[in-house]
Amino acid sequence: MNPAAEFLRQSADKSADLGHRKIIRWNIGHYDKAVDKGRTRYADWEAARERSAQIKQEAVENMDKLLVEFEQKILARGGHVCWAENAQEARQYIRDLVVARGVKRVVKSKSMVTEEIHLNTALENLGCDVVETDLGEYIVQLRHEPPYHIVTPAMHLTRTQIADLFRDKLEGVTSDDPNELVDAARRKLRAAFFAADLGISGANFLVADAGLVAISTNEGNARLSTSLPKIHVVVTGIEKVIPRLRDLGVLWPVLASVGTGQPVTTYSTLIGGPKTADEIDGPEEFHVVLLDNGRSELLADLEQRDALRCIRCGACLNACPVYKNIGGHTYNTTYQGPIGSVLTPHFRGHDFDHLSYASSLCGNCTSVCPVKIDLHHHLLQNRRNSVETDQRPWTERLAFRLWRWMMMSSTRFRLGSRLGKLGYRITKKLGLDPLKPWTAYRAAPDIPQKSFREMWRDGNV
Amino acid sequence: MSSRERILGRISSALKQKSAPLPFQPRPMFPPVGDLAERFAAECKSNYTECIFTASAAETQRTLCELLNSVGTGDVFVEDVSELRLRVNSSRPLIWSSQQPAPETSMVTITGVEALIAATGSLLVTSDCGGRRGTIVAPVHIAVSRREQLVPDIESALALVEKEGLPQKNSYIGIVTGCSRTADIEKLLVIGAHGPKRLVVIVEG
Repeated sequence: MNPAAEFLRQSADKSADLGHRKIIRWNIGHYDKAVDKGRTRYADWEAARERSAQIKQEAVENMDKLLVEFEQKILARGGHVCWAENAQEARQYIRDLVVARGVKRVVKSKSMVTEEIHLNTALENLGCDVVETDLGEYIVQLRHEPPYHIVTPAMHLTRTQIADLFRDKLEGVTSDDPNELVDAARRKLRAAFFAADLGISGANFLVADAGLVAISTNEGNARLSTSLPKIHVVVTGIEKVIPRLRDLGVLWPVLASVGTGQPVTTYSTLIGGPKTADEIDGPEEFHVVLLDNGRSELLADLEQRDALRCIRCGACLNACPVYKNIGGHTYNTTYQGPIGSVLTPHFRGHDFDHLSYASSLCGNCTSVCPVKIDLHHHLLQNRRNSVETDQRPWTERLAFRLWRWMMMSSTRFRLGSRLGKLGYRITKKLGLDPLKPWTAYRAAPDIPQKSFREMWRDGNV
Repeated sequence: MSSRERILGRISSALKQKSAPLPFQPRPMFPPVGDLAERFAAECKSNYTECIFTASAAETQRTLCELLNSVGTGDVFVEDVSELRLRVNSSRPLIWSSQQPAPETSMVTITGVEALIAATGSLLVTSDCGGRRGTIVAPVHIAVSRREQLVPDIESALALVEKEGLPQKNSYIGIVTGCSRTADIEKLLVIGAHGPKRLVVIVEG
C-alpha cells in the first residue's frame, strides 16, 4: 500500500479509537496546564519568542561560517568531526568506529537524528547491544515501536500498559505506580550505563563561538551516557548550530517552557570534547557527526528556509487538532505533527506530500511555535508544490479540471449541481459514497431540496 | 571533493539569497529577579532542591555531618579541594576525587559549584566539581557554595562562563536545576530518574 493510502487507513482507525483519544487528551491536557503555568514566569513571552526566532534566523543565515567555527573549536580540543551528506554516510562513520574500537555495548540518550538515520538497526546488525536510556525511548524500544512523539516518545501508553510491559521484561515490578516503574527501569539502565563502551547522544544546540554541544535532559540519562563510556558520539543535524553561548540565556528557558512548561530543563549540559589531561573522568574519545540529509536543499528554498529554525520542542504537535486525533505513529515519519508534515517531503520526497493535506490550516501550530516558523503556510505551499510537480493522482487532477470548467459558466454550474445531487444519492445507495471515510463515523446532512439559486429565484432568501 | 566541501558548498550557494531579517525590539523578557538569596531559596523550593543557609565554615561542617548521618550506607565521594577538606569531617570513610572518579557505588557526592543561579534555583557546575560523574552519579548530591557565588540569571551565569574561560578549562559545563526527574509515564512527575533523587545546596556566608 502506498504511504498516502496507508495514512488514510490508519487515520480512520486511530481517530475512532476512543482509548487512544482518552490517553492523548489526558497527556496533552497535563502539558497545556504546565505550559500555561510556565508562561507566567515571563514578563513578555512575545519578546522571548521574537528574540528566539531572531537568534535562530541569524544562525540559519550564517550556517556555513558558524559550522566551520564550531568544527575548529572541537578539533582544537582533540575531538573529531564527521560531515555526513546522508543517512548512509552517517551510519557508515559510526559503524566503522564501532568495528575499529571493538564496541559491544552502546547506551543512547534521546536523539531524533539517530531515528532519522535508523542507527539502532545498523548497530544491532553489527552485533552490538543498543540500549535507549531516556525512559520514554526505552519503553518504545522494549515494544519495538518508533517514538510516538519527538519529546514524549511513550505518550500513547497508559501506566497499566507500561506496567504490563515492565512485568514482562524487567524485575521487581508489582504495581503500576510510576515511582516503582521508574525505579525498575533505573536499576536496569544503571547497569547498562556502567557496562557501555560507547555513548551516543543527540544535541539541542551546537554553540559556534564556544565550540560546545548543548544537550538538555531531565532524567540525567544524557549526562551518564556522556560521562561513563570511553567514547562519546554526538549525532546531530547541521541546523542545530547557533552563534553565541549567550544565546542559550534565551533559548534554554524558551525550549523548556514550550517543551514541558519547566523554567529550564533539569540538566542543561555543555560538552566541548574528550576528557582533558587534568580531568579525572569523562570519555577518551569524542566525535560529532553533522548530518545534512536534505537540510541544505531546504536551506535553498527561501520560502520555507525558516523551518530550519526548528528546535524540536514538540509544541506544534501538542497544539495540532490532527495530531491529537490520529496520533504520532500514523504519520510513519521520524518527525510527526505539523513540523513533520512540512519537513518530510523535503527530506524524503513526494511520497509524503499527503501529510500537508492532513490539516485544517487552523494555524494553531504557527501561533505556538517559539521560533515563529510559518508552519501552516508551509503546508499550503507543499500542497502547491505537489500540484505543480504533477504529484497528485490523475483522478484528483481530472476532478479539479472538470470542477474548474463547470465553475466557469453559470449554465454548466446549474447543470453540474443537479447532476451532483442526483449522483450523490445514487452512489450513496450503491455504497460507493466518495465521502465514506467521513460519513462512516458521522451523520451526513441531507442535500436540501432547493438550491440557493432556486431559493433566490423564488424570493425566499 | 569531500562530503564536508560538498555540504558547505551547498550551504554557501543557498545562502547567496538572504531572508529578510526578522525585527526585534529589545525589551525585558523576564520580571526582575529581586533579592538573589531570597529568590534562589524560593526557586529551590519549587524545583525540589533542599537549600540550607549557613553562617560560617563551622556551621557548614556541622550541617554536612548531620546530612551524612541522615543518608543510608554506601560510598561518600568528595571533591578534593581545600574548602571541602576543611568542612567535611565525618566518621564515614571518604573517597576523595584525587584518588579516583566517583564510583558506581556512591551513595553521596559532595562537591563545590562555579555559581548559583537565583532566577531558576540552579547550580552552575563543571568537570572541575568532582569530575563529570561527581554531580550525577549518586542518589544524593550535596553542593557546597558561598553566598557571593549567587548570580541573577542564566545569562549572567553564561557571561561568567566566558569571563572565567571555563570552556577552555573544562570539557563539561552544566546547569543543574533540581533533582533528576521524569514525566514520561502519563505525564506524572517522578523525582529521581537516573541522577540524584535528593539535591542539597548549602549556601555559606
